Amino acid sequence: MLRNEKDKSRKGLSLVISKRLISVFSPLLQHGFSVITTEGTNIKEFLCYHLGFSPEYLNERIQSILLNGKPVDNPDRATLEDGSTLALSASMPGLVGATLRRESILASFRSTITHKEKNKTKDGRPARVTLKLFNLVMKESGPHLLKQGIIVEKDELIGLLKNQPSSFWEGCKEIYLNGENIIPDELLEKIESEGEWIFLQVISPEES
Amino acid sequence: MEKILRIDMGADGGPKVKEEPLGEYAGLGGRGLTSAIVSKEVPPLCHPLGPENKFVIAPGLLSGTLAAMSGRISVGCKSPLTGGIKEANAGGQPAQVLARLGYAAIVLEGKPKGDDIYKIVINKDGVQVIADNSLKMLPNYDLIDRMKSEYGDNIACISIGPAGEMKMCAASVACTDMELRPTRHAGRGGVGAVMGSKGVKVIVLDDSGLPMRTPKDPDKFKEANKLFVQGLQQHAVTGQALPAYGTNVLTNIINEVGGYPTYNFKEGQFKGASKISGETEAELEKQRGGVPTHGCHRGCVIRCSGIYHDKDGKYLTKQPEYETVWAHGGNCGIDDMDAIARMDFLDDNYGLDTIEMGATIAVAMEAGLAKFGDAEAAIRLIEEVGKGTYLGRILGNGAEFTGRAFGLERIPVVKGQALPAYDPRAVHGIGVTYATSPMGADHTAGYAVAQNVLKVGGDVDPLKPEGQIELSRNLQIATAAIDSTGMCLFIAFAILDQPETFQALMDMLSAFSGEAMTADDFMDLGKKILTMERDFNKRAGFTSKHDRLPRFFKTEPLPPHNITFQVKDEDLDKVFNW
Repeated sequence: MLRNEKDKSRKGLSLVISKRLISVFSPLLQHGFSVITTEGTNIKEFLCYHLGFSPEYLNERIQSILLNGKPVDNPDRATLEDGSTLALSASMPGLVGATLRRESILASFRSTITHKEKNKTKDGRPARVTLKLFNLVMKESGPHLLKQGIIVEKDELIGLLKNQPSSFWEGCKEIYLNGENIIPDELLEKIESEGEWIFLQVISPEES
Repeated sequence: MEKILRIDMGADGGPKVKEEPLGEYAGLGGRGLTSAIVSKEVPPLCHPLGPENKFVIAPGLLSGTLAAMSGRISVGCKSPLTGGIKEANAGGQPAQVLARLGYAAIVLEGKPKGDDIYKIVINKDGVQVIADNSLKMLPNYDLIDRMKSEYGDNIACISIGPAGEMKMCAASVACTDMELRPTRHAGRGGVGAVMGSKGVKVIVLDDSGLPMRTPKDPDKFKEANKLFVQGLQQHAVTGQALPAYGTNVLTNIINEVGGYPTYNFKEGQFKGASKISGETEAELEKQRGGVPTHGCHRGCVIRCSGIYHDKDGKYLTKQPEYETVWAHGGNCGIDDMDAIARMDFLDDNYGLDTIEMGATIAVAMEAGLAKFGDAEAAIRLIEEVGKGTYLGRILGNGAEFTGRAFGLERIPVVKGQALPAYDPRAVHGIGVTYATSPMGADHTAGYAVAQNVLKVGGDVDPLKPEGQIELSRNLQIATAAIDSTGMCLFIAFAILDQPETFQALMDMLSAFSGEAMTADDFMDLGKKILTMERDFNKRAGFTSKHDRLPRFFKTEPLPPHNITFQVKDEDLDKVFNW
């Protein structure tokens, strides 16, 4: 069940589904979704204070941080701006996987692409950041972020929902689009008329 | 494991079997032993498919024991693909079984005079070499089904498919897994062609009635193994990421960092990466009743493999690994996981190296034989190889041969061997290893082994670019040593971060042999192996000019970072200065 009237009336799509179906949305988390933050926020602030990751989780689990495709060694000193893409991963195998870790002993192997921070200041303007979650970080943090709600490309969402088998729709307990309770058969047609980006919230009663 | 089995396939009157003690090769296993035999006994200028070349199979020093992760087997010879020394290794069951049969190595020598094809059957009662022409040109899966019906389920097989019989340079040697499927391959360098040149189709191993190998100090060995397993299980890579997603967990991150070779190394990012990522693959396997977490041999505690089912829930292939998914996927512009899995099956069945075949198809696509992204065309090209058509025989000889046949300038090979799934323009350090490894471009030649634990060559500042040459050197040394133990290279991640896990490995080796092994001894072993391999290549005509990446890596910037490979040649020439 959606927890309150605010959730139900929220602009965008809200789904209440079985916990076992949450992984259906992992392609969106890997491909990237949008989050609005403030220009000049550093990665640590963004993850811990904006999204609710614990500092311990950031330090221990998130071993590779890529900002605009560049490995970041210090999340305190790398800042986000409008249009930034941030990807988060746990420790990865392979020589290159190890090379991409924060402050890796092998960091010299990727020195030409390592993120180098320019002097930036926080100017308070809103910044839209694309966030990508990979592997264990996706598995562990994805449900929490889906519950908070993420902004996704409409076409990506339609592509994903279109390919779901009937078992998915059977496990879909409630659907609200812009506050209106609708049935699965109506959903795809109604989403088509939405804008390019859509707010998506996915809640599992078992997670509440 | 105190003896070597030598089979002279060219002896008068038919193959002749001889057993001899290890002698001067005592104390060596796996890659150390294959490279020692090839380096000492094979004339470096011989033709790789001729009678002077030798085909050596060696389990690791700890194979056949209770040690976890000790199921790697090495295959060595002069490579028909590179023209240099070659060691390719594989998982599966044969390492454990061969070691328990008491053999440190099997050496196939000479060349049969006729065109008979042979199977070799080894069990506790002895060795039989049997001509069996009914096996000719059988694909690996059919072949193993035949062996199962003849010799039962308690066997492990080492075999070649039609590609090996046709002596193609991309031919692999297949090893059976726990389910007795031919899914684990010593893939690189055309080792299958050399086995084919010896006229051997399959080696059937049966250790029924034979015990595990016992260490000199069983209690210390058991304790060290326990700590070793604990170290693997508590580490985030070996205890969590690899079991959950397999090696293909790398697709997303390598793609994100712009180091994922796409469209025959033209770009560093593939738009369809998330459709073929390890995360997506594991989810698909779960939905279809496959298995995303599975070991390739008994005693594996990491379990990075899996079982991939088709849309109807039927077995299609083992879980395709990162290199395979990249080679047949992003490098060819293909984002269809089922098509990639189908190609993985075809490669295994025909006996082909998935990296070489994927790279070759991408080269063929650039040459205009098919369009990038056309999965059906890619599948047809592999089938051409399996059938041995004229086109197939070109493709089956690898990326360089195919590129030359079609007049292409951009051919991503070093020493004739196709580059694996990491673009060296994005990650320069791996380019150093690709360029200088005696094996040709090889992502496993310098693995993530503990610089901070081993301290060889002194401490290197990880955030300064100057350390790449030293790091590559040390990684190659440590990897050569690990390749001799029979240990899966993936143990390297736990060793990288946990000194106590590295110590547990040293303690296991010491308890097994009864002779103390230190980190210095370990690195000396690695240096000895690399020295033998480099010496062989030098005598085969290799010079520093062969230790280079193809020119286009220096001249063509790689999007999205638009950088070229910038390590200087004179620095590459310093890698083996020790």
